[in-house]
Amino acid sequence: MDMETLLSYEWSMMAPEFTILIIATVLSLVDLFADKKIDRKLFGWFGAAGIGIALFFLFSQIGHEPAMILANTYRLDAFSLSFKILLLIGALLVLLMGVSYEAKGELLYRGEFYYLLMSALLGAMMMASSADLITLFVGLELLSISSYILAGTRKKSTQSNEAAMKYVINGGISSAFTLFGLSYIYGLTGSTNLADISREISNIAPENGLVLLSVAFILTFVGLAFKISTVPFQMWAPDVYQGAPIPVTVFLSVVSKTAGFVIILRVLLSVFPFAQGLEANTSLLQSMMIFISVLAGITMIAGNTVALKQRNIKRLFAYSSIAHAGYLLVPFVAFSEMMFESMWFYLAAYLLMNIGAFAVIQVMSEHSHSEDISIFAGLFYRRPWMAVMMTIFLLSLAGIPGTAGFIGKLNIFIGALFSDPSRYILAAVMMGTTVISYFYYFGVMAQMFMRPSGSAVPIRMPVGVTIAMVFCAAGTITLGLFPGVVLDFFQTQFNFAEMFY
Amino acid sequence: MSGELFAFLVLALLAILGGILMLNLTKVIHMLLSLVLTFLAIAGLYVLLSAEFVAIAQVLIYSGAITIIMIFGIMLTRHNDTQKTKGNRTRNMVVGAGVVLFFFTMYFSINQVSFGDQATSLHVENTKQIGIELYSKYIIPFELMSVVLLVSLVGAIILAKRDDEEEAEQK
Repeated sequence: MDMETLLSYEWSMMAPEFTILIIATVLSLVDLFADKKIDRKLFGWFGAAGIGIALFFLFSQIGHEPAMILANTYRLDAFSLSFKILLLIGALLVLLMGVSYEAKGELLYRGEFYYLLMSALLGAMMMASSADLITLFVGLELLSISSYILAGTRKKSTQSNEAAMKYVINGGISSAFTLFGLSYIYGLTGSTNLADISREISNIAPENGLVLLSVAFILTFVGLAFKISTVPFQMWAPDVYQGAPIPVTVFLSVVSKTAGFVIILRVLLSVFPFAQGLEANTSLLQSMMIFISVLAGITMIAGNTVALKQRNIKRLFAYSSIAHAGYLLVPFVAFSEMMFESMWFYLAAYLLMNIGAFAVIQVMSEHSHSEDISIFAGLFYRRPWMAVMMTIFLLSLAGIPGTAGFIGKLNIFIGALFSDPSRYILAAVMMGTTVISYFYYFGVMAQMFMRPSGSAVPIRMPVGVTIAMVFCAAGTITLGLFPGVVLDFFQTQFNFAEMFY
Repeated sequence: MSGELFAFLVLALLAILGGILMLNLTKVIHMLLSLVLTFLAIAGLYVLLSAEFVAIAQVLIYSGAITIIMIFGIMLTRHNDTQKTKGNRTRNMVVGAGVVLFFFTMYFSINQVSFGDQATSLHVENTKQIGIELYSKYIIPFELMSVVLLVSLVGAIILAKRDDEEEAEQK
């Protein structure tokens, strides 16, 4: 390969990634040379502007023909575009929250926080826009390593240290699982390029390697389940969410989780639908769905029931996010035509409502230096608007009509019932666990509206976190009342068949 | 039994032995040495597969650099250099059963596959081939690796740095 071939690729389509990379590099250099007295919060606004530029590049790419650079090590298609929009918006809101994060003596490494967040975002974006196992794995590791460090930045807190340690060890084990699974896929097909793999894999005779391929499927899925925190790799989530600083917790529960779903969809859907399944005339993906549906069911039940007992608000939301990951696996199992739409929509709704709720939690826990659920007592009488916004987020998380969460759940539900074959049991489990989730979401609401407030100290609301909160509340309501606008845009602009080669 | 199979069996057994010793020894230094045994045995396996470059990288990086850094880490930090493990019979039984089950699953599923004829041209200029692939086809993940390195460096520094002086300045 000579220079000419290398330059003949359309490198400009990597503009969003380059923007984020440049911002991260510039921030790290400025942090090194700038005067110690310069407020590092400026970095946050600079980073936010950078993400804004990257978003602009992304939106200008909508409608671009599917294209790739260097044998699919970078790929631009509807799938990568649509999910990168979610990742960038999520990271933008996390940055805004980070700018306002003021917990006493905790975030000494403010400058590092911003550029580690940027590099984590870069990893997540590469996970969305690659169709080569090597690039996907490097992106995954970039995201993971940055998150391990971010989780441990509250150095004075033993909880944070424990969180980082648990996260590293669990993450290492899960990466080993993923790599072990991927290595068999590579071994059987002789390529790391997903396009080549999908071609080769249909030639594998069932009696020659089918069992190995099923094992590879299970190992890959189990390893990747770590990122989306579903059973069997969910136990890190409560400890890490509790120990990490709140903006990092939000990043892990939203951006990192979205990236996890993206890589699962990309790898599993480009490889296994084309392999011969365990029975005649089925694909291996269909044969393995029973395995994923069992995991999804257990995840929903475990997440929601354990959340009932939690008093610590961050732990409560950790279990709630485990439960939501379970809901998100349902459309994947149902595998209906609406799968991409309903997963994307639910991830978007989850992004808005979860970041919004955590923004309120951040303001309240900084105010009262506690993370107990009682910090919300009497919020309605002190900051009525904030209480109303928190109510919107909680209603949306619970899935009450009029909010984005409801439409998301409805899409998933319909998809599960009308797919072929219908997933009645899974839909029923989802229904039942949603009802269970009302108890703990409404418990927080009861605190806000029905308990008297303990103190009368005015609650300070910094700019960044307020912007994030208002944006999320507006988004949750808009997506809830006019879902058609987004879904129509989605269906006309993004053609997911582009994902297949 | 051909010579290749014999060499494979010896090296594989050494690698597993290293792993088991690593888990069962009590002194940290002994654990490290058994880890080196595993790394070297794996390097030997790479040589058998005609991947000389990977084998040498394995020896240099894993058995050399990483082990040395671990020894430094052990010497520079205060710790008990022996570790007592409490035996839990039920848990060991369950884990053991899991390992055996996993071994048989993998053994039978791999045995089922026929990979066709053995490749004969693997050894031809493999270092050069790796280089060409790395700097042309895989340039994107390669460059991304440099960001991963940067992040790990920054992370190692901020997590290991002592904060005492900085606090004194702030007060």
